[in-house]
Amino acid sequence: MTQKEKETRYSAGEQMIVSAARQIVKDDIVYVGVGVPMVATLLAKYTHAPDCVTITENGIVRVTKFPMDESTDVQTLADQLPGMFYVNCLAQAGYINTGFLGAGQIDRYGNINTTAAGDFYKPEHRWNGSGGGNDVISFCHRTIVTIRQSRRRFLEKVDFITSPGYLDGRPGQREEIGLPPNTGPSIVISNLGVYAFDNGEMLLKSIHSDLGVTMEQVKAEISWDIKIAPDLTDTEPPTEEELHLLREVVDPQKIFARRAESPGLQQQS
Amino acid sequence: MSNKLMTLKEAVSKYVKSGDTLFVGGAQHATPQAALHEIVRQKIDHLGVVAVLAQPTLLIGEGLVDKMITGYAAQDYTASYPLGKAKAMNRFPVYEEYSHFGISLALFAGYMGIPFIPTKGHLGSDMPKYNKNIKSIDCPFTGGKVAAIKAVVPDVAVIHVQRADAEGNAQKWGSIGVDVEGINASRKVIVTAETIVSSDVIRRDPNRTIIPGFRVSAVVEQPWGAFPSRLAGFYNADRGGFMRVAIAGGNEQTYEDYLRDFVYGVKDWNEYIEKVKSIKGADYFDKARLKNPVKSEPIITGS
Repeated sequence: MTQKEKETRYSAGEQMIVSAARQIVKDDIVYVGVGVPMVATLLAKYTHAPDCVTITENGIVRVTKFPMDESTDVQTLADQLPGMFYVNCLAQAGYINTGFLGAGQIDRYGNINTTAAGDFYKPEHRWNGSGGGNDVISFCHRTIVTIRQSRRRFLEKVDFITSPGYLDGRPGQREEIGLPPNTGPSIVISNLGVYAFDNGEMLLKSIHSDLGVTMEQVKAEISWDIKIAPDLTDTEPPTEEELHLLREVVDPQKIFARRAESPGLQQQS
Repeated sequence: MSNKLMTLKEAVSKYVKSGDTLFVGGAQHATPQAALHEIVRQKIDHLGVVAVLAQPTLLIGEGLVDKMITGYAAQDYTASYPLGKAKAMNRFPVYEEYSHFGISLALFAGYMGIPFIPTKGHLGSDMPKYNKNIKSIDCPFTGGKVAAIKAVVPDVAVIHVQRADAEGNAQKWGSIGVDVEGINASRKVIVTAETIVSSDVIRRDPNRTIIPGFRVSAVVEQPWGAFPSRLAGFYNADRGGFMRVAIAGGNEQTYEDYLRDFVYGVKDWNEYIEKVKSIKGADYFDKARLKNPVKSEPIITGS
């Protein structure tokens, strides 16, 4: 945490959630990973995208504003409970336009690792594996990724591709190997900045300057020479309304704002 | 039709064998805890376990699992006492990993009775490098690439449902994860049911039947059979409760005490429930009952 961050009215985790929520547009059909992606999608529902449909990987279809503690544990707020197979069929057939997931590592070309850091058979760290991550990024028209940024997480090449981004960056490669056309990661939101993709390569779009983050810090926590957008800006800080809704309504125990800065992993039953 | 009602002890000893591939139902809803506890109590080992968002921690911790077949599972044995215990005993399972859709498809192929199923997922991922049951093939129609996922046909499934009749017609509602694919792919199915109802109740809402009686091997009446996970319409999850903590395998003390007292120290799930009540209070389970049950409109059938 920077000195500036200690003094500001919000945390980097809250910035990540708010920036992610703003990526959801009205009428989106969103395939949400459990945890941070779900909180961000709920925040979007409370603000600018009340009608977006949220689909969770265990097979819940909802337009309602459900409480977070029932995010995977449905009581009565679902429109359909078709199960995991069905919702992934919706995605594979092209009916879910927006995907949303967390990551352990990401690379220059948006490939995501949520499996193993280091050697697969002798890992330095084991995450829980794909879950719906591979499905989300393979099938959704665009995918929003949230991840804590560090040199060990932002790599030239990930140790293991759990969920494919633009592979080695060569145009058309996703389609060549059989992935549906016009899919893949579109935005990466970290605790330091926001990134888009330019010809399959990550591109720095904005820096969380209001939190005191500098270009030097952003570069220090990326292990390749990151491309900078010509129209680089400061990340738009959360509004008072967004912070109020996030803290008082969506995530009153502030569990997810804290978790935003670690890999977006889900709860077990 | 035949009456398949029996005790859980009988069902498990008759239908779950060492070396079996076992499907565990209940993805974040109604994990069949009573059945899992009974399998541990009977120490049925060398299992391959197909589990999707239902972590069979006790089975792994007791060294009973050779292989996990899953899309998502905690594997960091430095962060979990039972996983660490399995590792120390040299009984840590091999993980055969898919995405959520991948394992759903593998079960769906098993359910359909076909050898493999094509998909547009898993392509470009490293998962196929380490899982020989996922391959990239040429589509015979378009010439493009598709992934092929080999069918998974579990030897036996355990699932907990709200209601079933004595013949095995089983009805579950609420979140269903991969239950339908998993049990219908399995050769034998053990159904534990919160309540046993007459066949007439089943036939008044047959759309809710997720597997027909003739595909079910054993039916067990087992109240609180999914607790401490939730069962829609019956009880809420025991969030933060001691059962939940112990089953998740927090630390050596809670885990080993739990196994000694509540797995090996009781003869079955009914004794387990009585023991929990005697220690934690007679109302321990009642506190989890629904406070605001909501009824749907009845569906109408008839002539």
